[in-house]
Amino acid sequence: MASTARGSFLAVVRQNIPLCREHFRLVLELEHFPQTSPGQFVQLSCRDVSLASDVGEEFESTDKRRPQLQAEELTRPVAMLRRPFSLAGRRDRGSNTEIDIIHRVVGIGTDFLAHLKEDDEVGVLGPLGNKFTLPKENQEAILVGGGVGIPPMLYLAEKLSGKRAVAFAGALTRDLLPLTIVDPEARGLDDIRALSDIAEFAKHGVRSVITTDDGIYGFRGFVTQALERYLDEAKPNAVIYTCGPEPMMKRVADIALARGIECQIAVERAMACGMGTCQSCCIKVKKPDPNQPPLVGRDWCYRLACTDGPVFRASDLLW
Amino acid sequence: MANLSVDLAGIKLSNPTLTCSGTCGYAFEYADFMDLSKLGAFVTKSITREERPGNEPTRIVETRAGMLNAIGLANVGLDRFLKEKVPLLKKMPCPVIVNVAGHSFDDYTETCAAMDSLDCVAGVELNVSCPNVKDGLTFGTHPGRLKELTHEVKKVLPHKPLMVKLSPNVEDITATARAAVEGGAQVLTLVNTFTAMAIDIYKKRPRLANVTGGLSGPAIKPIALHLVSRVYRNVAKPAGVPIVGMGGVQTWQDAVEFILAGATAVAIGTALFVEPSTPNKICDGLHEYLAKMKVERLSELVGALQLPGDEPRQSPYP
Repeated sequence: MASTARGSFLAVVRQNIPLCREHFRLVLELEHFPQTSPGQFVQLSCRDVSLASDVGEEFESTDKRRPQLQAEELTRPVAMLRRPFSLAGRRDRGSNTEIDIIHRVVGIGTDFLAHLKEDDEVGVLGPLGNKFTLPKENQEAILVGGGVGIPPMLYLAEKLSGKRAVAFAGALTRDLLPLTIVDPEARGLDDIRALSDIAEFAKHGVRSVITTDDGIYGFRGFVTQALERYLDEAKPNAVIYTCGPEPMMKRVADIALARGIECQIAVERAMACGMGTCQSCCIKVKKPDPNQPPLVGRDWCYRLACTDGPVFRASDLLW
Repeated sequence: MANLSVDLAGIKLSNPTLTCSGTCGYAFEYADFMDLSKLGAFVTKSITREERPGNEPTRIVETRAGMLNAIGLANVGLDRFLKEKVPLLKKMPCPVIVNVAGHSFDDYTETCAAMDSLDCVAGVELNVSCPNVKDGLTFGTHPGRLKELTHEVKKVLPHKPLMVKLSPNVEDITATARAAVEGGAQVLTLVNTFTAMAIDIYKKRPRLANVTGGLSGPAIKPIALHLVSRVYRNVAKPAGVPIVGMGGVQTWQDAVEFILAGATAVAIGTALFVEPSTPNKICDGLHEYLAKMKVERLSELVGALQLPGDEPRQSPYP
């Protein structure tokens, strides 16, 4: 039974599969991992945890275990800080849990993750942050993911089984979509029909619209353009959930606000700790009452993406 | 088990691990990730008289074996600290030291005076070296001003030990250390972060919005160690003032190095971001080390570093 406490865990790599250009799915197995919800994230150690940081320890050399001297930092860049990743899925078997992390190689931390092999160990801090609020009974869930912002939408889709939902997945080009695209029927360049051609969404009964900026597959243009067209044609009673590059999320927020649609945004911010102490992942939000703390007299304040977020309401964010 | 307890000017610590101000929040932020009752002492985030939103992001960037921060002393301010954080601190299972920062003598004295009467506060640490706020450097880098500030603060803080956290961004750290001690500092904390920068080569801009930030992490450890050793020999030891050593402490071996160099206790900062339980692990390692070295009290090792020219150690063989 999963506990509710957060903590520091040691996970074992079960799978590490390249999904498309630069993107990998890392499946980690943990014991007694607490309950999690879509929108939450974990902090992963992106350096070899089996190398004790105990430089200068006395070693016992055997045939199987030879002394490993580190000072790695001096010979090549090593990620000192952990890196935050949203959860892309979860499966439980007894006291064991598998979590999915989909990441894109953008630096030394994610490059390390990309080279992990089965049975390697990874440090996991979490689960961290708040969560998406699921739609009400009569509302349609509209999921809008851009590039490496798509993974949290996959976990959200798991929880939307049986509910009315449609997913918009966009990327620069097709091979930057970390998704299994099945039965690619010929789509027109301005086709925004929601189909069942993304396996990860379809298995939870969520139809999807694929967009590529270059038009090589799906709707040609930005995911926000397809979303706008969909909203104006279907006029749904909906909640929008989004994650992706900041300019995209800002546009999604504007589109939602202009139409009076509720919009929940999972923001991405560089962070050192993920636990509310380093104060680096701050984001500007509106205060409902300027005369209340924090910062009495101002109509804005900073909130932390790690503990106050990562999910914020579009109407609150000043970015 | 060996005895790890240490005494910082009357603050009794069950072991020599402290948290560095600004890396551990106000109170219970790490409660799920570490055993706070096994901390020697907890040092809060810097508190200023007025509430501060802090700098624009980007506030932190990672660099090789370290990181730069320019948070800008984001904190709730004295009033909200007293109202919201003190009730939490009353429940802390270890001694609490409040870090105080300011921009004027009045800022410091007003905040420190409020701390003097709080039972849950074991001591006060002055942040005179935060290099991120424009005039923050002045108190910590000018010996005369630092002495005067320490003196003024000690006047309003008669009941609590006063710690002064020294900046390494000075020509001669022994001069500022001496000034702090002459002003009434009862514990010296060193070192704060090193002013540094990182550049985005594609945007041709600094990576921090504040342009410069403070470098911390393993990258600074050897420099911090050297400064602790110098301050211990030239100022702290003659004056009988204990040192809290900090700067890139990650492992128990790092802690032992600082203690041999002259630190009575060590503070862990950047490493908490990576692994909040680091202080707990350091204590475990210190126990093993002391057992192996057949030392009963950790305090026997403070400043036990042998330098060339020191009196030769007694031979164990008669």
